[in-house]
Amino acid sequence: MTATITRGLTGVGAALAIAALLVLSSGKNPLVAYEALAQGAFGSPDRIAVALNKVAPYLLTALGVALCFRARVINIGGEGQIALGGLGAAWVALTIPAAPPVVLVVLSALAGAVAGAMWAGLAALIRLTRGVHEVLVTLLLNFVGVLLVAEALHGDLGEPGAGFPQSPLLERGAWLPKLVKGTDLHVGIVIAIVAVFVVHRVLWHTPFGFRLRVRGASEKAAAYAGIDMHRSFMGVMLISGALAGLAGAIDVLGVHYRLIEGFSSGFGFTAVSIALIGGLSPLGVLPAALFFGFLETGALAMQRAVGVPSPLVSVIQGLTMVFVLAAIALGGARRRV
Amino acid sequence: MLEMRGIEKSFGAVRANRGIDVSIPAGRIVGLLGENGSGKTTLMNVLFGMVRADAGTITFDGRPLVHHTPHDAIAAGIGMIHQHFMLVPAMTVAENVMLGWEDAGAWLRHDAVAQRIAETSTAYGLDLDPHAVVGALSLGAQQRVEIVKALLRGARLLVLDEPTSNLSPPEVARLLPVLRKLRAEGRSVVFISHKLQEVLDLCDEVIVLRDGAVAGACPVAGATRETLATMMVGRELPPPLARVETTPGREVLIVSDLRALDDAGVERLHGVSFSVRAGEVFALAGVDGNGQAELADVIGGLREAMHGSISIDGDDVTHATVTRRLRAGLAHVPADRATTGLVSAMTIAENLALRESDAPPFRRGPWLDLAATRALADERIAAYGVRAEGGDALVATLSGGNQQKVILARELGRRPALLLAAQPTRGLDPGATRFVIDQVLALRAEGAAVLYISTELEEVMAVADRIGVMFGGRLVGVVSRDDADLTTLGLMMAGAA
Repeated sequence: MTATITRGLTGVGAALAIAALLVLSSGKNPLVAYEALAQGAFGSPDRIAVALNKVAPYLLTALGVALCFRARVINIGGEGQIALGGLGAAWVALTIPAAPPVVLVVLSALAGAVAGAMWAGLAALIRLTRGVHEVLVTLLLNFVGVLLVAEALHGDLGEPGAGFPQSPLLERGAWLPKLVKGTDLHVGIVIAIVAVFVVHRVLWHTPFGFRLRVRGASEKAAAYAGIDMHRSFMGVMLISGALAGLAGAIDVLGVHYRLIEGFSSGFGFTAVSIALIGGLSPLGVLPAALFFGFLETGALAMQRAVGVPSPLVSVIQGLTMVFVLAAIALGGARRRV
Repeated sequence: MLEMRGIEKSFGAVRANRGIDVSIPAGRIVGLLGENGSGKTTLMNVLFGMVRADAGTITFDGRPLVHHTPHDAIAAGIGMIHQHFMLVPAMTVAENVMLGWEDAGAWLRHDAVAQRIAETSTAYGLDLDPHAVVGALSLGAQQRVEIVKALLRGARLLVLDEPTSNLSPPEVARLLPVLRKLRAEGRSVVFISHKLQEVLDLCDEVIVLRDGAVAGACPVAGATRETLATMMVGRELPPPLARVETTPGREVLIVSDLRALDDAGVERLHGVSFSVRAGEVFALAGVDGNGQAELADVIGGLREAMHGSISIDGDDVTHATVTRRLRAGLAHVPADRATTGLVSAMTIAENLALRESDAPPFRRGPWLDLAATRALADERIAAYGVRAEGGDALVATLSGGNQQKVILARELGRRPALLLAAQPTRGLDPGATRFVIDQVLALRAEGAAVLYISTELEEVMAVADRIGVMFGGRLVGVVSRDDADLTTLGLMMAGAA
């Protein structure tokens, strides 16, 4: 655990230092740029709320990815699972708008999780019955998932006359409750943090989590241990899909209050980065997701204030990942699984 | 020819080499003996430039080797043949020889190289076809490819790491004259081995390492197995556990007409039938690759039986899951310790829970009972004498012998009715081998049935009540230990009886 933190901090530090050189080379003062970045991320309660709202779906999706990767199941279908989660949540919220508020929001969020799980389950089914590698299946189902959302918005779920592929505004009863009055901060971050501890507990303290770790370490040992490879594959994919689906639902019910075409764009792959930087450990994923969320939130402010283009933030994210992964690879020989 | 002086090398807190002085004269075959973890491999890796020594000097042919790479070592005339060959199975012999070799030319000179391989092969009696695909060759032939590779690169000192451990007796018999011929030409050979008899038969001198230091060096003439063994382990091996007289009881394992495919889908097991009784050790001897591995996998539940049946204590488990076999009383020590029998990146405690994480004491309610698992680990570590810091130590940090003890602690700790032990002493030093055999015999004395698969005849003779020999996927003969003699068994193993 301490190793994960040290690696993370070193990686972030090195990435910021190199990015500072880039800023310097474009004739801007990196300190000023970073100050604007920090202001944009932490400057006001509103900024923090925006950032934390961004962190929640990242965190949930990255947890699922981490769990899969631990079991050596390469699920890169977060994007599609998030999309389906958002679709499921919006569909339920629009189908039973008259339901009592608490019931409506809970059912919608659950529908998101179920839809995400089914999308991942479909990928798992194709893998297990047809033998197509999960990297291919989950990747390709991302496109299908995103297109399904578009299809729904251009059809029954779309808002008539909106001019943009989006659903009508959801009933207030389907909105996620706010955590702090007067800000946009919704309960998603709490759900995500609870999920961190639940997944941590499952991974390290249940026979199921143990089987996932054995499976990920050695397939031969897993067979010798009597682990049902198909069942554990399906199990971890369903959990991962449910977490991603919940992430999609939270974004729809907590930020947009409607389903929007392309709302999930980039989330799935960001989640993979976060899971890797977090050392595939549920507790490590938490700081990694916070870092990504706040960094991205501050990016636009930095661009406005100093004129440093916001994609610099992607450079920082990328460099952090390179450094952290390099550190993991270098110290990896005796790593515990 | 080679002088190594004061070689020191530490890995963290472990001092693998603590000031080793070694000298290899020209035209000699020098045996390098030592238990696992005595520093042999580290020393040779230092020589070959694969790891850098912390201190010490190396002089080869009068020239110092400083901060050298394997590439420099080869250029200087040192050839190294690892226990696990460094060959590309999908390529031909000639292509493997050319790989990474400057003399092969910037534009590969296939025919010229093939010609030189053929000449060298004839000169040394290696019997290699330069155009054969390496993956299709026997392990013995692959080893000869490694020898050709080294010779064509101009090796004057050849280091062979455990060269006979994967070979059948006829293949070993073929390797030794090649090495003698090299000696006759004035080349030197370092022969790393565990097998005392081979060292005595082949070598001129022997150097024994113990705990990272030279425990002794002497000419082979005059040395005996006993003196060498004593030097290696630094203690007298205790006499073998007295075999308790047991009366074989009920048939615990009944295998009938078992057939199975190997990984490539080729039938490797052609109808094997036998039974093992309670209180008896049935040993299966045979050269590797005659179906024993497949047989063990099928009985252990890791490979599907194509035909036939297996029953344990009257329970038909032919198609049962691994877990059901375990419940039926099967303990399984697989041949592949590091990646099948253990998860080396997990702790000792977790490895004890490996096959039963769903049952007490490892599980309580929905949770893993980590405290109970750790307590059990501490108890087993003490009972089996595992040299480790504690139950939380990673298995990867243990020596081979201690890893095997962890497997035994898990499998025998269940009080099994049947033990399936596949090559349980492979790669272990004499002390650890002894421990394994003692445990097997103790289990037998308690009335369990044991199926013991090994390629080491002496070991088979030491543990077995009855001995079966596998050849070509069939059980070609079963004899009781009292009637067995090494010659007959050897002939059966070679398919000649």
